[in-house]
Amino acid sequence: MPPPLRCTSSLPSTCVKQLCRAGQSTRSFSTTPRQDQRITRNRRQLFRWLGSQGQNFLNPLNGSTNYLGAYNAQGQLKRVVEAAAEAERKKKKEEGKANEPANSSASESGESEEAKEFKGEIPPETTRDLTPFPLNKSFVSQPVLSDDLREEIWKRVMQDGKSVRVVSAELGVEMSRVGAVVRLKEIEKEWEQTGRPLAKPYHEAVMSMLPKTPYDPTGRTNAKPHESINDLPVHRKTGTQIFHPTSESRHFTREDAAKVFDERLLPADLRVPHPELAEMHKDYKAGLSQEERQQRQMERDEIAERKRQRAEAKKAKKEAAVKKVDTGRVEFRFTEISVDAAGKDGRGFKGVGWRYGHPHMDRSRGTVKIPTSVE
Amino acid sequence: MTRKRFHGLKRVKIRATWNKYNLFNLSRLKAPRTNFMTYYQQKWSAKSITRAYHGEHIREGQWERMFTPLLNSVIPMDHRYLAEHDGSEQAAGRGSGLEKPMDLNKIAFGRNQVPYMHMTYAPIERRLDTAIFRALFASSVRQARQFVIHGQVKVNGKKIPYPGYLLNPGDMFQVEPDRVLFATGAPKIKVKAQAEKLRYERRISRQSNITRDAALARRAERRRAKEAKELADDTIELAPRQPKSAPIELGDPEVRKLRQKEFLKLIRQIEDRIGNKKVRRTGKRKQELRVLLRRAKANVIFIGRKSLQELDTEMKEITQELLGITEEVESADKAPVKRLKPESEMSDKQKEALKRAIARIRENPADTTKPYATPWRPRPYMSAFAFIPRYLEVNHNICSAVYLRHPVARPGLAEVPTPFPAETQQLAFNWYLRRR
Repeated sequence: MPPPLRCTSSLPSTCVKQLCRAGQSTRSFSTTPRQDQRITRNRRQLFRWLGSQGQNFLNPLNGSTNYLGAYNAQGQLKRVVEAAAEAERKKKKEEGKANEPANSSASESGESEEAKEFKGEIPPETTRDLTPFPLNKSFVSQPVLSDDLREEIWKRVMQDGKSVRVVSAELGVEMSRVGAVVRLKEIEKEWEQTGRPLAKPYHEAVMSMLPKTPYDPTGRTNAKPHESINDLPVHRKTGTQIFHPTSESRHFTREDAAKVFDERLLPADLRVPHPELAEMHKDYKAGLSQEERQQRQMERDEIAERKRQRAEAKKAKKEAAVKKVDTGRVEFRFTEISVDAAGKDGRGFKGVGWRYGHPHMDRSRGTVKIPTSVE
Repeated sequence: MTRKRFHGLKRVKIRATWNKYNLFNLSRLKAPRTNFMTYYQQKWSAKSITRAYHGEHIREGQWERMFTPLLNSVIPMDHRYLAEHDGSEQAAGRGSGLEKPMDLNKIAFGRNQVPYMHMTYAPIERRLDTAIFRALFASSVRQARQFVIHGQVKVNGKKIPYPGYLLNPGDMFQVEPDRVLFATGAPKIKVKAQAEKLRYERRISRQSNITRDAALARRAERRRAKEAKELADDTIELAPRQPKSAPIELGDPEVRKLRQKEFLKLIRQIEDRIGNKKVRRTGKRKQELRVLLRRAKANVIFIGRKSLQELDTEMKEITQELLGITEEVESADKAPVKRLKPESEMSDKQKEALKRAIARIRENPADTTKPYATPWRPRPYMSAFAFIPRYLEVNHNICSAVYLRHPVARPGLAEVPTPFPAETQQLAFNWYLRRR
């Protein structure tokens, strides 16, 4: 590619605008020559923009988000302009009903003025107004949990003792997010108790700049849930296009489709995070009574509980096999190992300790020493 | 070779910062014109502009190792659909006339496409420094990186000084709240610097008289030099006069460091008082304050030549004298001060409001020792960049966040924040794909 053109600073310029900025250095002790900051057209444009359209972004908009995508080229909020136009149209319609001959020229000239002087409350944002990057419509600033909703999640899990899965389904929040909210809330409460100062002003400022999902305690209004909780991750094996001939009469289900992609791939029903929701809906569709449905749900819960207990017992057994010696400062953990684990050639990955002729790789050059996980 | 500008106006590169230059560049960013360019040139320029935003501080080789052509995505499933259909309905009726003919007008092309190409730089979002920037704890990725290196960041309660640590789903990271307040708060402005800036901006707006400004600059230079000289002269007379032969016992260096800190705090206090123009002082009072300031400064300058005891007595004397000078704050406009009603006369509503106002002041106090403007307020132009992607759950009260999962794309939405259109991202993706 050809080298980009740059204006050379060595050429003497006759233009007054091009002269160096003769400001004094802010550091009296500095001996380095100042980088000459020219007052270029770009720079002038920058300051003009900062003084006009850019003024909108200097401070947060009261009670609303304030992204680039929400403004038009003139620096007006698009939704305000639209609302003003809508109001104008309505007004005209009413006037038109009252007296047919309306002087159109006068109202047209006043329309742009109207947009500026629109003094209603700012209308709520649409998806268009939530794009921080105007060229990328695929990235939208999605709402975060409001303070009330977070408190409610913490309450339901920690005080009411509900499981994360249930709370997630009730409030329409991902399970991992429910867990994270509780974890963070616990720390916050601990800080409050110990008197460690919270960054309250910062929190309030940030929350005022972000879109939020409010908590509706009545739960009656059909508000949009925070996020979709039943996200099916796209499996790598399903990326291929497969031509699979099968008989017309065959009842070809999702399970069969999964088998075609891979022998061990589970069907979508089992790979979603909340398979129990579909089960419950199946019971409902089957026309079971309330009691029966509850009974079946309880059975399912019991099975899940038994599974969980088994896993826990397994984990406890593994933990019990480790002999622990607590010296007060450190806890030594002794695990039974076998010498034979090193294998015939002494290089088995389960083998421990130094083995002759087999170098440790932890000091070698070129390998990344950054830990890959903490705890 | 001169360093290239990070936020250039001419050679425009969009950066991962909250800078106002960056905002201006974003506002005038246009999709690159790719006609008249070869495919190679298109790919090169796309990679060049996208890499300037996504991990420009990461070496190219390092990024190439991180790059993967496997892009994560999810499809939201409706549990009611899963319960009511087993998937066989997709194939039912094919060829038996039950199938409706395809109507091209009814198909919404691209409406629900998964924007895979926006996920090109997803691996970078896993880095600790980037995640801190995305959680709004730092005003740029480079600042976030600095916080990590300086040991201000913990992952799962453990200090991790590696900005390149790749977060695992479920990892919690915490940043020191004071650093976050510094990074996101409005800068502390010195009055002089502000005046200078104002003057500069005014000059820009009218593109004016260069000679006059040069004269002003020279005058300011002279004044500053004079001040510096005066300070040097002042402190010299306060230097401890001791024969070189008698060495002083320095004592514990830690204690000495602590004393120095105390003196610096004292100096700031005295300077605050001098700077407070709301107080009317006599000339003598002003002189006294200035003498105290000089004494305190001399102590800091000659801290190595004084014993600990001397420092202690000096400290005590200066504080006592400072406390002795009592001052009354008077209102600026001399109008009768608007006093609140005594609490007994207030209504319940007013009492509540008063209580809230007091609480607000208490949790956001004015404190000149902080490196940011107090009471804290968000820095300018922050709101245009304030968004939190869904793969993070952030609690700003404690400046902590949890990395929930890796970013994914879903129909119509991609979770990797990027200012570039899909075409540019696709070209960049192809650039990196080339070498695989």
